[in-house]
Amino acid sequence: MRRGDAIGRHLLLITAIVLMLFPVALALATSFKPVSTIFDLNPLPFPASMENYDLAVGKFPIGRLLWNTFVMAAGVTVATMLVALPAAYALVRFDTARGRGFVLAAVGISLLIPPQALIIPQFLMTAKLGWQGHTIGVIIPQLGVSALAVLLLRDHIRSVPQSLIGAAVLEGATSWEILRHVVLGVLRPALGAVAILLFISTWNEFLWPLLVMPDPEDTTIQPGLALFVGPESAQYGPMLAAAMLASLPVVVIYVLASRRIADAFLHSGVR
Amino acid sequence: MTLTKTPEVTPKARVVERPAATGLAWLYFSPTMLSITVWVYGPLVFTAVLSFLDWNLVSPDIEFNGLKNYETLLTEPEFGNAAWNTLKYALFVLPFATVVPCALAIALWKRPGRVSEFYRMLLFLPVVLAPVANALSWQFILDPLYGTLNQVLGFAGVEPINWLGDPATALPTVVVVTAPKVVALNTLLFGAALASLDRRTVDAARLDDATEGEITRAIILPQLRRPIVLLGLLSMVVVWPWLFTNIGVLTRGGPSNATDNVYYRLYTYGFTFFDAGTASAAAIVIALAFGLLLTVHTLLSRRFRATR
Repeated sequence: MRRGDAIGRHLLLITAIVLMLFPVALALATSFKPVSTIFDLNPLPFPASMENYDLAVGKFPIGRLLWNTFVMAAGVTVATMLVALPAAYALVRFDTARGRGFVLAAVGISLLIPPQALIIPQFLMTAKLGWQGHTIGVIIPQLGVSALAVLLLRDHIRSVPQSLIGAAVLEGATSWEILRHVVLGVLRPALGAVAILLFISTWNEFLWPLLVMPDPEDTTIQPGLALFVGPESAQYGPMLAAAMLASLPVVVIYVLASRRIADAFLHSGVR
Repeated sequence: MTLTKTPEVTPKARVVERPAATGLAWLYFSPTMLSITVWVYGPLVFTAVLSFLDWNLVSPDIEFNGLKNYETLLTEPEFGNAAWNTLKYALFVLPFATVVPCALAIALWKRPGRVSEFYRMLLFLPVVLAPVANALSWQFILDPLYGTLNQVLGFAGVEPINWLGDPATALPTVVVVTAPKVVALNTLLFGAALASLDRRTVDAARLDDATEGEITRAIILPQLRRPIVLLGLLSMVVVWPWLFTNIGVLTRGGPSNATDNVYYRLYTYGFTFFDAGTASAAAIVIALAFGLLLTVHTLLSRRFRATR
């Protein structure tokens, strides 16, 4: 690659990164500025102050909201993996089973139905079940999108070497044992990546928890933040501090697992 | 010995390797099928039924409304405006779903290694960031009086602009706020599409003194035609919840419905006006329009393949 091309390439990538991340970077820096200088153009928060964080934690039930969000995200992740993994496995393993095409079509089409078109019945169903205001009401209905996990996992399971499965079959392993010991053994990193993505995307869910748990004191972090801000308060300092606290857990998880996540995507079947 | 043994093992192995145990397969399928039946297909039918009723979501009187809800929808200007805005959103989002991430993914692909890994990590970060936190960061930057953007533009002599409060700028601004998520996701997915490309063709072209621009145009882009269409279409599935969050936090559909779209309208009918019938009719219209779009795409791509 010529020198000019190489420089152009770095310039393109760095410009894109700066444009995409500066709002959040600025918000992060601002959240550490003392209230009196918050609108100064100097973005550097020195001397740093925790004032905004104290205010945010004081007037906003952040612990409660983070805990609810964690329960929701972990619940959806575990439940989705439990539901989707057997189906993805069976789609690969029993590839002559009758009805396999039907299952594949049902799974694929369910992903194309705009989720917003379903919220009213889903809302009524959770209300009827008495799940309004409870984390179970935000967890179970989100299993409707487990179809995406089925398709992602199917791509990964297809990549398990046939010889490994064949060997297990010859030793008399049942299909369940093969799933538990062979497939799960080989695919642990890929499954981890799918689980992490599920966790992160559920953590960031806004509309559904807003409908099921609309109490600002006892909801999840995304709607909680939105309700905390409200139209009248323009207290940017504490608001940005709370926003940073809401992102922190998933950003940490992402940075730790980013290699894995990228790999899981790069080997998925988008072609 | 080996000759007599081999034919015995192979057919047996094949039989157990591909069992046609339909009953067992359905045991594995059932949790997923149950979930999507209860939480997707059931609600879809339920929505279709609700769209013919007049009901406020709580009271016991439910009345049959015939096609009235659809009539209201199609005659009231709000839904027409929302539909028109939806089209505008789609048009503005499209470059961020195709051209931009495609260019970034190609730049990443051309020189693999540690530096590219690091860029890739940063480029995907917006997908992960909490959407409400992102919206609030932008609210701070776009504040008409004290916002960073207007202060910086002020140095260039530009009068303060009320980015989210002016109907002329509000919709494009919401798109710009949402764009990083779309760019980030599709950059990674274009990367996945590029992963199957043969690097040796590019190396050979470089040896033949082809410029990087020529390589991109002649070798890489022709192979990305299908992913570009596919990811453009995919963005039309994933972008609406992201836009929804930003609209919900930043503009609530305003000013004077300038940032409204069909999804936000559906939510407004259902959960601000508690009009289950009209909201469901809107949902059905959206689902049908979306189905139509997919059918057209499938037919066109089939035709395209047939003519090749």
